[in-house]
This record gives sequence, structure tokens and C-alpha cells, in this order.
Amino acid sequence: MTAAHMVVFLLCAAGFAALALAMDRHQQDVLGRALPPRATQLLRGAGWALLLAALWQAVGAKGWALGLVAYSGHASAAAGLVFVALLAWNRWRGQ
Amino acid sequence: MSAKQTVAQAPGIRQTMSDLHIWTGLLAGWILYAMFLTGTVSYFKDEISRYMRPELPVAQALPDAGRTAEQVAAAILAQTPGTPQLGITLPTPRNPTASAFWRDPQAKGRGFGSGVFDPATGARLDARETRGGDFFYAFHFNFHYMPVIWGRWLAGLCAMFMLVAIVSGVITHKKIFTDFFTFRWGKGQRSWLDAHAALSVLGLPFHFMITWSGLITLMVLYMPWGLQSLAPPARQAVTSEMRFFVPPGKPAGEAAPLLPLAGFVQQAQARWGPDGAGTVQVNHAGDANARVLVARQQAQRVSTTPQYLLFDGVSGALLKTKDTSGPAATTQGVLYGLHLGRFADIATRWLYFLVSLAGTAMVGTGLVLWTVKRRARLPDPDKPYFGFRVAERLNIAAIAGLSVAMTAFFWGNRLLPMEMAQRANWEIHLFFIAWGLALAWALLRRPKRAWVELLWLAAALLALTPVLNALTTSRPLWRSLAQGDWVYAGLELTLLALAAVHAALALRTARHQPRARPVRKGGASQPPVPALPAEPVGEGA
Repeated sequence: MTAAHMVVFLLCAAGFAALALAMDRHQQDVLGRALPPRATQLLRGAGWALLLAALWQAVGAKGWALGLVAYSGHASAAAGLVFVALLAWNRWRGQ
Repeated sequence: MSAKQTVAQAPGIRQTMSDLHIWTGLLAGWILYAMFLTGTVSYFKDEISRYMRPELPVAQALPDAGRTAEQVAAAILAQTPGTPQLGITLPTPRNPTASAFWRDPQAKGRGFGSGVFDPATGARLDARETRGGDFFYAFHFNFHYMPVIWGRWLAGLCAMFMLVAIVSGVITHKKIFTDFFTFRWGKGQRSWLDAHAALSVLGLPFHFMITWSGLITLMVLYMPWGLQSLAPPARQAVTSEMRFFVPPGKPAGEAAPLLPLAGFVQQAQARWGPDGAGTVQVNHAGDANARVLVARQQAQRVSTTPQYLLFDGVSGALLKTKDTSGPAATTQGVLYGLHLGRFADIATRWLYFLVSLAGTAMVGTGLVLWTVKRRARLPDPDKPYFGFRVAERLNIAAIAGLSVAMTAFFWGNRLLPMEMAQRANWEIHLFFIAWGLALAWALLRRPKRAWVELLWLAAALLALTPVLNALTTSRPLWRSLAQGDWVYAGLELTLLALAAVHAALALRTARHQPRARPVRKGGASQPPVPALPAEPVGEGA
């Protein structure tokens, strides 16, 4: 039960991290340069794929009703984690 | 955002929506903040109630549900033999005591008795008189010191404002995807706007769901005309489709022995699994027309529509199996269920709590943003106009003051004398006295000082609650941790974390130095401080 929650959360967090890294502003923040368009597209695709995988996991483990609710919560919390991580990274780098 | 472009033209859709967002948000904001925060903690209503009744035993292995039902029913019938109806909520791992209500024709007031029972012995448990977590839950849509109906209309009005603010906010927010993860630190109004937008957007599915479903839970109150057009029996049938509500019916007037309840509970368990029986209701025990109902455990499904088995209590015949409701009732039941989150396991419950806390912070940052934005444009920052001062002071009382008041409620629970008359009511009075004093403080002190002082007071009260608990009960934090009592330990660790949040806010507010006016750079992001925008900033997101 708890393991299923962890998997969904980690997939969501990885998905949002990939989506953030597919954005110009955050590429500059984290890497200090823009990634080539091909890498950006790959990251964006991977991000959406990971979010879908998380949904599939949640629904698979808990059924549509409870799975969708848990997925929505994990998605919000994971997006919040990526948001805070980027903020902390920028602060730590002194920006 | 493109304030420059829109200012020159006639106000466009985005500007109009922005104005709508700002004013609906501000007018309902102070009440919405209190509804959001007290509603948020209600996801741990049962845990708070257990914390506020330290006399009740620590969680233990649950005995057989059927035996518990029998013993509790026997205890109630011994005390109130003629009760036409009694209902027993069976214990769960989350709430390990059995609770029950029963109709008591002799009782004063509403004609109901209620109590908490030991699931192993059926003995009635005595605990201090308190509303516990139910107070925060009831307050978040009934308020207090006013008729319940007024409170619910007020809550509905504020929820409607909230729904308008959500929709208009999404339309106003131009860069919802581009700025998804963006936070620009130390830029005054821009930082507040980024924080407000992030708290709103990242939890948007929840915020929309909770507001809309909040209105739906009370839809029959707000729009009663459909039901009113029905005759009373049909009206009751509609209610029975939506909730587990079965009237006691008429007794036969002939005595007949009630079959043991365990058998009925076992049939429900066979149908819904070993944890499947949630509540047991007995109508007219001891009468030839006795009925026994076993309703399904709410933890297994989202919808709150009823699922139950109805038995003849004397012959044991299964009279009715209710396991579906119509599509309209199910839609309402799912939205109601989503709002309450009773089905949530511990991980989902924490997600509910955290995202709802983000919603509270969304309302809080929105309120503060209103003053941050206007402070930058005050003709004379030392003498703001009346409306500005009202908003500024109400923000302090609504945000910092509520933290003080809610913690004072816990302190009252531990410090008021056990034998005090109206003890439970006085805990609630104390909550409002503390809130009122916080408001007075916010009105009397300079705004920045009031913020800092009340935030520090909240931090101190929160941090000292576990100390107070250690001094007044036999369940200090170290013992809870050592014994793995996660209701107590989890609640106290959460209080300590919240104390740290309040202390950090107090420190940052106190440290903030407003910049001199000509400097085109905002200060750090604190509540009560002048902050100039670093760039022309659009309207609230």
C-alpha cells in the first residue's frame, strides 16, 4: 500500500522535474545554458510519459476512484517539491 | 504580465477578470482563510479528538466487530431499555473506540444520547468534556454564535466567491505554464505574486474540487425547490438515496427477543470483507418489529451514498440489500465523499492535508498581496487611507490571530478544570477570546510589530503545547514516540513543525528593512512591509 504511494509520488516528481528542465528559464537556472531543441523535446516527452506512468500505477494499485484521488494529490505534492527544489537550488547558488 | 499594454486600451478581458479576482478575493478572503485552515485540520478531526481526550486508551488490536456491536448494544439497552433506535460506529485502526448514539425519549433537548465505548468490553468510556476536532470541522461551515442556517448561507456565499476567484484567477494568469515553476526571490510584490500563483496553480485540481464540492454538500439547503416540490414520503426517499438514513419505523408492541448482532455483522463481512462493516443500527430492539441494519465501512469507497443490509431482527431474514444509488445521488455522493476524504488512507490523508494547507496559504498570500501592491502606491506611506488600514489590520488578525486562537483551543483543553460546568463550551469561548484579543492587538500596535508579535506568540504556543501535554497528562512526546503512538507523536511533531514555520515568518518579517522610495528594487518578501515592484507587475494571478 505504502510502496504503491511511493512509486506514484516518485514517478510524478521525476515527471515534473523533466518538464521543468524542458523549460528555457530552468535550463538557465540549473545548467547555466540552454539545451539543444532535441534534448528539450526529449525531456518534455519523458516528463509527460512519467506523469502518465504515475497515473497508470495509481489506478492499477487502487482502482479508478481511489487511484485518481491519490494521483491528484501526489501530482500536486510532487510539483510542489520540484518548485521548492528549484527555489532552493537557485538560492544556494546565490541567485 | 503586460500591465503596460492593457493600461492604454479599454480594459480587456484579463483586466476585468483581474479586478473581479482581486475584489471577490479580498471581500471573502478573511472568512475563506478561516474556513480553509479549520477545514484543513479537519482531515485529522478524529486524531485531534483523540489528542483532546487523553483519558481514552492508546490504540490496541481490534476485537471482533460482531462482538463489539453486541456488547455496546447491550450496554446501551441496559441503560435505556426503551430506545427506538441506536447506532454503533464500529472501531477502525484510525479510530479504535466504538462510538454510539441512541434515541432517548426521556432525554432533554434533542432526545439523543451518545457515548464512546471500549470495543473489547463494551464499557462506556469517560473522557473530559470537549468538542475536540469536531469544533474545527463544524466551524468551517457553521461558524459559531449564530444560527447554523446563517452560518451555512455565509459559508456558501464565501464558497461562491471562492469559485469566482478561482475561475477569474486562472483567466488572469497569463503565463500559467511558462511560470509553472517560477519563483523570483527577494523582489517584493513580484515574489508575493509568484508565491500566490504557485500555491494556486500547483494545487488547482484540489482547490477547484474542494470549493465546488463544498457547495454541492449543502446544495439541498441552497437550492431546496426541487425537493420541496415532492410530498414528504418521496422527499424521505430522496434523502435515503443520498445518505444512510433509515427512520426507525413503528414498533409492533409485542415483545420478541433480538437475535445476536454478531450474526448480522458476519453476513456483512462476508459481503464486503473483514473490515467491511462500518456501522450497526438497531431499531426497536426487543420488539417483534425489530430491524437491524449493517452499513458498509466508508473507508472502502469514495461515494457517501448508502450501502447497507437490512435484516429482520427477530427472524434474521435479509429484507433488503441496498448497494446502488441513482446517477444523480451518486454524483452528489462522490463529490461529498471527495470533499470529506473519509475514504483516505494515511498517505492520501496527508496529501489532502498538505494540498489543503497550500490552499490556505494561497488565500493568505492573496490577502497580503492586496496590501503589498497598494502600499507601493500610497501617496504617503506613513498615513495610509482608511480602507488600506482596515485590510492591513484584518489580515493580521485573520492570519496570525487564527493560529493563536486555534492553539489556545488546545491549551484550554488541557488547562480548564475537569469538573467545570459547560467545559466544552468554554474551550470554544477561549478560542474566540484569544482571536478577539489578537484582533485588538492588531488594531492597537503598529502593523509590522503586530505581525511579528502575534507570529511569535503563535510559534511559542505551538511549540509549548507538547510541553503542556507532558505536564498535564501521562502521555509525553517521548513516551508516544517510544510506544509508537503515532496519533499523539504525529500530532505533536506537526505542531512543532508549524511552530517552526511561524517562527521563520516572524524572523523574516522582523528582519525586513523597507528600502528607500527611489530605489527600484523590492525588499524581501514579508507581510507588512513596503515593497516596490522590480518591474511593472500585472494584477493578482
